[in-house]
Amino acid sequence: MHLPTLTRRLFLGGTLSTAGAALLAPGRARAQDAVALQLSWLHSVQFGGSYLARKNGYWRDAGLEVSLLPGGPNAPVEPPVVAGTALVGISAADYTAAAVNQGAPFRIIGVAMQKNPFAIASLPDNPVNSPADLVGKKIGMALANTPVLEALCSINGVDIGGIEVVPTQYDAAPLVQGQVDCLLCWATDLPVAMEIQGVESVTMLLADHGYSVHSQTYIATEDSLANRRDQLVALMKGEVMGWQDYQADPEAAAALSVEMFPDAGLDLATQKLQAERQVPLMFSDLTEAEGFGWFTEETVAANVETLKLLGKPVSPDLWDRSILEEVHG
Amino acid sequence: MDRRPDIHLAGVAKSFAGAIRPVEAVAPVDLVLAGGQMTALVGPSGCGKSTLLRLIAGLEPPSEGRITIGTESPDELRQRAGLAVAFQDAALLPWRSVEGNIALGRALARKPRDPGMIRELMSLVGLSGFERNRPAELSGGMRQRAAIARALAGEPELLLLDEPFAAVDALTRDRLNTELPPLWEARGATSILVTHSVAEAVRLSDRILVLTPRPARIAADIPVPLPRPRGPEVLASEAFRALCTEVTDALRDHQYPESVAAQ
Amino acid sequence: MSAGRGTLRGGPAALRAQHPLPRGLGLLLVLLIWEGVARATAGSFIIAAPSQIAGYMVSHSGLLWRAFGATLASAVQGFVWGNLAGVLLALLVVLLPRGERLLSALALLVFCLPLVATGPILRVLYGPGTGPQVTLAALAVYYTTFLPVLVGLRAAPQGWFDLVRSYGRGRMTALREVRLPAALPYLVAGLQIAAPAAFLGAMVGEFTGAERGLGVLTVRALRALDLPATWAIAVIAAGVSMLAFAAVGALGRRLDLAPPEVLMAPPVARSRRPWEAPAQALLALAAALLIWKGSMEVFGLPRFFAKRPEDVWFYLVTGPGAEAQRARLFAALGETLALAGPGYLAGLGLGAGLALLLALAPRLGGAVIPLSIALRSIPIIATAPLIVWALGRGAAGTITVVAVMIFFPTLIACRHGLARTPRAVLDLFEVYASSPLRRLLGAQLPAMLPAFFASARMAIPAAILAVTTAEWLATGRGIGALMATVASTSDYGMLWSAIALVGLAAVLAHALVAALERAVLARTSAEQLAR
Repeated sequence: MHLPTLTRRLFLGGTLSTAGAALLAPGRARAQDAVALQLSWLHSVQFGGSYLARKNGYWRDAGLEVSLLPGGPNAPVEPPVVAGTALVGISAADYTAAAVNQGAPFRIIGVAMQKNPFAIASLPDNPVNSPADLVGKKIGMALANTPVLEALCSINGVDIGGIEVVPTQYDAAPLVQGQVDCLLCWATDLPVAMEIQGVESVTMLLADHGYSVHSQTYIATEDSLANRRDQLVALMKGEVMGWQDYQADPEAAAALSVEMFPDAGLDLATQKLQAERQVPLMFSDLTEAEGFGWFTEETVAANVETLKLLGKPVSPDLWDRSILEEVHG
Repeated sequence: MDRRPDIHLAGVAKSFAGAIRPVEAVAPVDLVLAGGQMTALVGPSGCGKSTLLRLIAGLEPPSEGRITIGTESPDELRQRAGLAVAFQDAALLPWRSVEGNIALGRALARKPRDPGMIRELMSLVGLSGFERNRPAELSGGMRQRAAIARALAGEPELLLLDEPFAAVDALTRDRLNTELPPLWEARGATSILVTHSVAEAVRLSDRILVLTPRPARIAADIPVPLPRPRGPEVLASEAFRALCTEVTDALRDHQYPESVAAQ
Repeated sequence: MSAGRGTLRGGPAALRAQHPLPRGLGLLLVLLIWEGVARATAGSFIIAAPSQIAGYMVSHSGLLWRAFGATLASAVQGFVWGNLAGVLLALLVVLLPRGERLLSALALLVFCLPLVATGPILRVLYGPGTGPQVTLAALAVYYTTFLPVLVGLRAAPQGWFDLVRSYGRGRMTALREVRLPAALPYLVAGLQIAAPAAFLGAMVGEFTGAERGLGVLTVRALRALDLPATWAIAVIAAGVSMLAFAAVGALGRRLDLAPPEVLMAPPVARSRRPWEAPAQALLALAAALLIWKGSMEVFGLPRFFAKRPEDVWFYLVTGPGAEAQRARLFAALGETLALAGPGYLAGLGLGAGLALLLALAPRLGGAVIPLSIALRSIPIIATAPLIVWALGRGAAGTITVVAVMIFFPTLIACRHGLARTPRAVLDLFEVYASSPLRRLLGAQLPAMLPAFFASARMAIPAAILAVTTAEWLATGRGIGALMATVASTSDYGMLWSAIALVGLAAVLAHALVAALERAVLARTSAEQLAR
């Protein structure tokens, strides 16, 4: 597929700030390639490995000047990658599959979260410990996530008709206020927020009940894979090294996040708790053996299976391990 | 350019689009107004005298016929700022000072700035000391005088006065009738005065045209041979009263449109 | 005129003097009740106590200042660009009167584009930086400046234009000497409404991926269940909006501008020929489609997310699965309209009703009006989550959000209309010692209707903004949530279909209200239609 070459900022006085900064920065031994990494959410320790990569100069040493573009509740992740504004985007297998089905020329080149962070959060006196517990409960979730619940029920043989779905937006208030019995949310944010507010909760990770969807996946276009391999390898190499540092000391990553983004309104205690909670999602026996971001034919096959249940059929070709192989090789 | 142009109206008529059929405001008129004279148009309210004035000013195009002022059309005269109108409601711009409004008459006429002249005009119309005031702070009579001063500020060849004293009480009106004529007499422009006051018409003009109600036709054409200047003593003169009676009779004869049909 | 202004100025002050409580004491009482209610309901995470809010503001003052500065900078830039665009558009309409219907329809259409959908598109167009924030702020203000300035440019009496013409001067002189100065008070009225709207636009713009700003902090605070932070940001946003509103008003008084005679635009006059209106509508549709497609082609936007009109047609009509997609879209729209409609009517009804009530009991006005003017300027982004938290995620919450958005402007516009009841007519009722109710129905209600209908037209974009924002941020239902969802799952065919449908619905609703307005005003105040 032909991709139109877009200028970085299309109109109205954009400045090539990152490129300019790279060219003008004094004391650099070599010219830096300016590229951007589109994050999937606001700055937080969720992307702690990337911050460590930047701070420790892993990209700079590889000749790369990486700007980290924050996401947000109304921020597009896939389009900047298609448009070329960002070289790599942080998506998730289900979102990537949807985009590919809409004609986006993406490949998944790495997987940061081996286990999907989706969880059912409930309160201890009325807990949801297994999918079967959902029957007869009121679950608060965005209606857009209905396919996720459907997939979970069908994998575990639970009758979805027995669950009352209450449409809510993404915050913990309805659970705390008693409007719902449980919430569909990420294990790393709303339960953390509740704990910081002194509300204890029970979380059941969907990934522990057959829901296999890679999250925080690195996506790049086929065009970039063909023509900008060096930059992709350099970027992913930095990511891998950064996340290795993160694994060694999540607390330091939390502290760095707070320090690096003083305007993001981050709270150190929350960041530390979140950093700790996402470790088991990102690091596994597989990553111990093969390295951060790795995926295998088996994990991909499990993803293809779950994505089919989600109504987003994909072929295993969506995953492309060649960049990781160069990084780890 | 003739500084005191004649005005020729040849078969000039005006009708407006109405709800059912066109409304005839001015019936075909043939007329010559001599240069340097002041002609008064009198008639009952709503008879079309203001429309005739607007036709001569070129603010409305005639439906039929042609108007020539000197050698030009009203539009041509207007385009080179050769005429000025003192409007019925003064039409002062509320955000400009009194002085600014009068100076605007000169600026719009594309004449060079002349603060001395503006001051002189203001003093002539009795507005000295109100230079900085806004129109809203003036009485009705003061606003009318400011409007006349603005019309004179552009040194027009043709001066059109559309009921300039309509909103003024009788006492003030009488005073203005005494004080203002010298202003245009000295400048000698051709002028047309629209009024529904018979005494004012006789007092100020050289010739009176009595108009019939809609559509406007010329019912009477009465010359006013009174000598100038016409001070307050004129009002007591026999000739003045006779002229007033003549005009009033002409008006009474043509008070209603029916009488036109009978003509 | 100056006398009228004097009474306007004197009015509230005189009434305030009769107020039983000194100002400070009343405020203190409100704060105390607030604190009490917040403490009593602490477990349910709805209301933060004033002491908690103040505590958060003090302990996070540096963070809040920086965020405020970032948002303010975007808002100010958007304010300048948006108002400039509004004024230029109004000038264009005045200089090209034949294009009025077309330009007005396009202006309305662009104003009705939902923030939730335009945000991500702008982010892709601009890339990183403050571009989307500034643009959304500008988009949020240009229409509410365009309308009053257009009225102001035309508000001058015919005599002033005749004056200019009598000297043989043309449109440009009339513009400079008459129209522009006459429009100045109207511009100030528009800028007053624009100031809070720009702040809202900038905050929503930050949702598209910004490094800093109050919008960023709002998202963080909502998600972290951080009640004091959420309320502190709402208080700051509300405070700065009220301050900006008051500051622009003070500037207008400083310039000694007469308050505008009519705040809102009269309806576009009925066309003389029967085929003209449909032809103009078709022309506007064609122009909108042309601009839509043309701009995408000019900028070479990838088809993946920048769907052209023909892509939407394919998606909704001819393509595979079109029927199901259409059904999904219309179901969402139906769900939205079922809430927006009652909210819209409730807001209009309550606003007009309270205005009439205050006409019967004018003393209340001194207390209610300043409060309403203040509340009108609070951005919806601050209030929507709070209202929905308080009233729940069902229909009541959303209807209330919409009604609140419409209620305050309607109240103020209707008060303005009531004040324009001719003195002589009121005197007539006074002479016959009519009851206040009779006076209300016989004289004041007809005088209020033009303002009411103008407000009803302006309320359509406001209702759309309110309902889609509430659905997106709070309830997760309807077309607002659908747009947010499909934008995140790359279903851009649906996103553009939804944008087109919302725009179409807005323009149709506007035409419907305008037709109703013409029918009613033709009976009650024909002079409003004469232009």
